[in-house]
Amino acid sequence: MKDLKHFITFENLLQEANNDLVMEAKEEGKLALGYTCYYIPSVLLNLDNCFSVRLRAPRSSSPDIATYYLTNRNCPFSRSLLERAIEGGYHFLDALFGSETCAAMDRAQEHFHLLDLVKSPKFFVTHLDAPLKNDKTSVIHYRTQFEVKILNPLRDVYGVDISEEKLLESIEKHNRLSRVITAIGGLRKLENPPLTSYEFHVICLVAEVCPFDKIIGPLEETLEELKKRKTDPISYRARVVVAGSEIDDPDFTKLVEECGLYVVADRYCYGSLPGYEEIVLREGEDALDAIARHYLDTSQCPRFMNEEKVIGRKQYIRKLVEEYDADGVIFQAMKFCEFWGYERALGSYVLINEMDIPCCTIEREYTTSSTGQLRTRFQAFAESLEYKKLNV
Amino acid sequence: MNYYGGCDVGSTYTKCVIIDENGKIAADTTMKSKMNAEVSARLAMDETIAKIPELKGPEDLAYLIGTGYGRNKVPFADENISEISCHAMGVHVTNPNVKAIIDIGGQDVKGIAIDRDGTVKNFAMNDKCAAGTGRFYEAMARAFEMSLDEFSRLSLKAKNVIPITAQCTVFAESEVITLVGEGKKMDEIAAGIQMSVAKRCFVMAKKSGATESITLTGGCAKNIGLKEAIEHVLKLKVVELDTDPQLMGALGAAEFARQKASAKN
Repeated sequence: MKDLKHFITFENLLQEANNDLVMEAKEEGKLALGYTCYYIPSVLLNLDNCFSVRLRAPRSSSPDIATYYLTNRNCPFSRSLLERAIEGGYHFLDALFGSETCAAMDRAQEHFHLLDLVKSPKFFVTHLDAPLKNDKTSVIHYRTQFEVKILNPLRDVYGVDISEEKLLESIEKHNRLSRVITAIGGLRKLENPPLTSYEFHVICLVAEVCPFDKIIGPLEETLEELKKRKTDPISYRARVVVAGSEIDDPDFTKLVEECGLYVVADRYCYGSLPGYEEIVLREGEDALDAIARHYLDTSQCPRFMNEEKVIGRKQYIRKLVEEYDADGVIFQAMKFCEFWGYERALGSYVLINEMDIPCCTIEREYTTSSTGQLRTRFQAFAESLEYKKLNV
Repeated sequence: MNYYGGCDVGSTYTKCVIIDENGKIAADTTMKSKMNAEVSARLAMDETIAKIPELKGPEDLAYLIGTGYGRNKVPFADENISEISCHAMGVHVTNPNVKAIIDIGGQDVKGIAIDRDGTVKNFAMNDKCAAGTGRFYEAMARAFEMSLDEFSRLSLKAKNVIPITAQCTVFAESEVITLVGEGKKMDEIAAGIQMSVAKRCFVMAKKSGATESITLTGGCAKNIGLKEAIEHVLKLKVVELDTDPQLMGALGAAEFARQKASAKN
């Protein structure tokens, strides 16, 4: 990985939420807008003089104070973010946009406001009411929520230009980033991929936590380097799709890889599949219509309740297994995750029993701790996939 | 004659098995694990090798595989394989008719479904805490002021089962002490403890897809009271193995070593 010009910088940028590029952008007078969920389209947060920052809590330890304000039954992601906010890790934020996706994260974000955790003078928190379906009514409702909970407050508090022209500019930024990430991710389909799955995870994460204008250049250069990269073939026993809830810690992917499993596709919250599809305006749509439709259609969130989405989520994983020539699936969920807890149980049952796809299911913490036990599971899974391949 | 070794460095016991070219056990050792996994592996392997006059050291083995939580620390191993795969293979070579395992080790409980070739079909693992593991039994036996063997037999005489509600080892120990203090019958409390562990095993077995011919491996497989409680909850007769069930991981590792060496030749 040392041969990639920007890779060590990328790794360093993941060590703090308020990383060097965020600080640079802030010094230039830009507005840092935080979010935590795919239901808040980052494309809306990259308007005019704003930039989006997906909140992470790198190098978290025990979230003791957050557990006091929330409960020990809240997912460690929500508690770790609140703990980091209490520690003073998000003072750079100018606003935080939440979505009524899960109660745990709602409560965590509510406490940003209740405990006055961010010192920016005009800092505010809003919560968007996200639809549970992707039908026409939901698209209209979602679009209205964008205006009421995101765009209008940005205009009224900070004077952000929320015109159609700026929205279209932001869509183009999103599409440019999507083309780069999709192209890099597509390299994993090759029999001898030119990058490790850990490297790809790091690349995806920096794309989400750094200002677009500052990270797009290094990402495009990295793509060009990867296209020409000459490395020894990556040694792996089997190829897997990783599905489930958010993975903020690239060491998780490193651990999977150390056990002989190459992650060919990342179907977890804020993985690249989905997340980096281009937004295309259809006839008669304005930018907001297109964004609302795009995000509701592409989302694979287990919060969606309509039958088409429920069945579609399993079919999407099967499609990835086929398209990326994977041997199995690691279905993981963060401890106490409301939605992925159920989805993991049902999804893995359907994959194993109805689709005949080998599946390893795990529940995990926010950061990659207890590696010994996870290592045993992943190694055993790698061994079983390897033997199955040999016996075919 | 070529020999093949398996070294299973567990959290409480280290087990070594050496097999010959026909897969027959030539020597084995079980000893308490030391703090240092490498030291445990060396001591157990030296003792096992000493039982076969033709062998002078681990380098005389044609192939050796490490397994168990300390599998990466076996200094003389050619490679390491997870204990899940090794237990499956160990049971398969001992009795190919067995299709599922409940492995109760010192620090975790695993349910393993075995495929026709001895590889793992599916598995489930509980490693959240010490509940239902060998560590749990050590704590319970301590609370009863008995040896593990005495404790394992205590529940067999019970006419009733007093449920133990605490899942945590530490709290379960407190609950047991309270029940003893209340004058409840020791054998009935013990039956409650065995039932609480059996229920955990039931979940692991079902999660792994075990439906038929099941056996117990790991140190707790020798716990007669637990075996009876598991048979009760699973409504299945647990298959008794001809070989010490605690050796299954090391035996599976040795068998993998034999197969790998054959494949290389």
